[in-house]
Amino acid sequence: MSTTSQKHRDFVGEPMGDKSVMALSGIGEILGKKLEQQGFDKAFVVLGQFLLLKKDSDMFTEWLKDASGANSRQAGSCAQCLREWCDAFL
Amino acid sequence: MSLFVEDPAHFSKSRLKSDLVAHNVALPHTKSRKEVYVDLHLKHIVQKNAGDFSSDDEDQEQDLADKEEEEDAKILDPNTLTDDDLKAALLEHGVKAGPIVASTRALYENKLRRLQQSEGQGHVNGVEKGSEAAKEETAEQSNQAQQGSSKNGDFVYPQCFLLSSRLRVHATRKREPSPKRNLGNVIKSSEQSRPPRSQIPGGITKASPVDQRSGLGSGFPSGPQSVLSNGGSSISSQPFSITLMVERRKSLSSSTDTERDLNGSNVQEHWSRSNRPDKPIVDMCTVKNQSPYYTPKESPYKQKMKPSQEPVKDTFKEMFSNMESSPTGMCATRRRPIKGAAGRPVQYAYPDTPTSPITLQRRKVERRLVPIHIQILVFIIVACLLYIIYVCVEDNSFSPFVALLDSLDPGSESEEGLMLQAEIQDTAVFSGQE
Repeated sequence: MSTTSQKHRDFVGEPMGDKSVMALSGIGEILGKKLEQQGFDKAFVVLGQFLLLKKDSDMFTEWLKDASGANSRQAGSCAQCLREWCDAFL
Repeated sequence: MSLFVEDPAHFSKSRLKSDLVAHNVALPHTKSRKEVYVDLHLKHIVQKNAGDFSSDDEDQEQDLADKEEEEDAKILDPNTLTDDDLKAALLEHGVKAGPIVASTRALYENKLRRLQQSEGQGHVNGVEKGSEAAKEETAEQSNQAQQGSSKNGDFVYPQCFLLSSRLRVHATRKREPSPKRNLGNVIKSSEQSRPPRSQIPGGITKASPVDQRSGLGSGFPSGPQSVLSNGGSSISSQPFSITLMVERRKSLSSSTDTERDLNGSNVQEHWSRSNRPDKPIVDMCTVKNQSPYYTPKESPYKQKMKPSQEPVKDTFKEMFSNMESSPTGMCATRRRPIKGAAGRPVQYAYPDTPTSPITLQRRKVERRLVPIHIQILVFIIVACLLYIIYVCVEDNSFSPFVALLDSLDPGSESEEGLMLQAEIQDTAVFSGQE
């Protein structure tokens, strides 16, 4: 990945704590709303799903597309951000 | 019919399997019961042994219908599976599933469905190809192998231990067929000009089911697909077992004669393959993974090993004339000695690297400059002088310059006075002595 967004850097740069799901890179307000409706209200819940899928980016991307209607770029961005967060803090 | 006096129902399951493989019959699912094997045995082998080749097409059509039935039986609706079953089914397809919980289940179901679909396509392809004709087995196989490789693109084989440079060198070299290498093979020119990559994907991708059985091959997406595409041509994903191999060899040696009659073309084709330099390696691969095409003709291959050795050696001497041939086929070049390391004499002097114009310019400038130690010395001297002057100016009590200036006028008078006094004293002394 050549460049990362500011949101990505902000998320990866520190522990996620109690951040909302919208703090995840690639997930804006609309996708965040959809995820919240399904119970994924915090970023750590999404992280839990990511970990349940064994940090498999492909599977996670697919899940995110199904669950929130994200496009490939958004889902990929979110997966990358979670993976890098895991590399840094897990 | 008189060829087989034994009833196939009395055979062991592995024997049945090996027989089926020997006759290029697609094996049913690994877990299917013995009856399925017996049925297949009766249908294919006994009929074949009757020598009725004209009914081959019908056989294949029956086979196709058979396949579809099996297919239907095998594809279960993922929705109805329990979590454990779903996980097991995924594992059969070579996917190591994570925990299957409410939030991940749908995902895994989708994945299983997709895998089953792709497998089904592979099967259909294989059967269609197989139904064309039994005589064109060789062409068919190369087709399928090409299909497999084209499916996988340029497939990288991370799971296969690359055995030696032989395999790789020939894999690249044999892309364009050279007539020189095949001088020893006079059997079929069409086979010789066939693209040889059909052997390599065939041999190597089949290594994946073994790994997957042992639970190692996970997260390897293209592995299962390649297996599936090959699975159409009756390369089953059954686990590797030594007893099975031994069993097969026995059955082979017993039925070698009949097979030679039946599959004469196959045997020839096999010989021509075995004449190729990389054959030993590929053959090892295929034996291990129970490819139906290579294994039955093992014994003729071993018998023919000696005479086919000559052309092999020639080509190798051409290619690796500067290397010693080793029994394992691996060759290693000596490492270039490190320049003068650890007190060793310098055996290889690296050529002087051409200098860039900037460094040349810098060198020119440096040549004109005063050396650095002289600069430092001069600096220290100057600093000392300055300090001394400073101290002298500051310290009024010891100021030679000021004192010198002050004492210029009175100094001359007092000196003259002193001189006069000394002269007076001298004269007084002289006069006193006289």
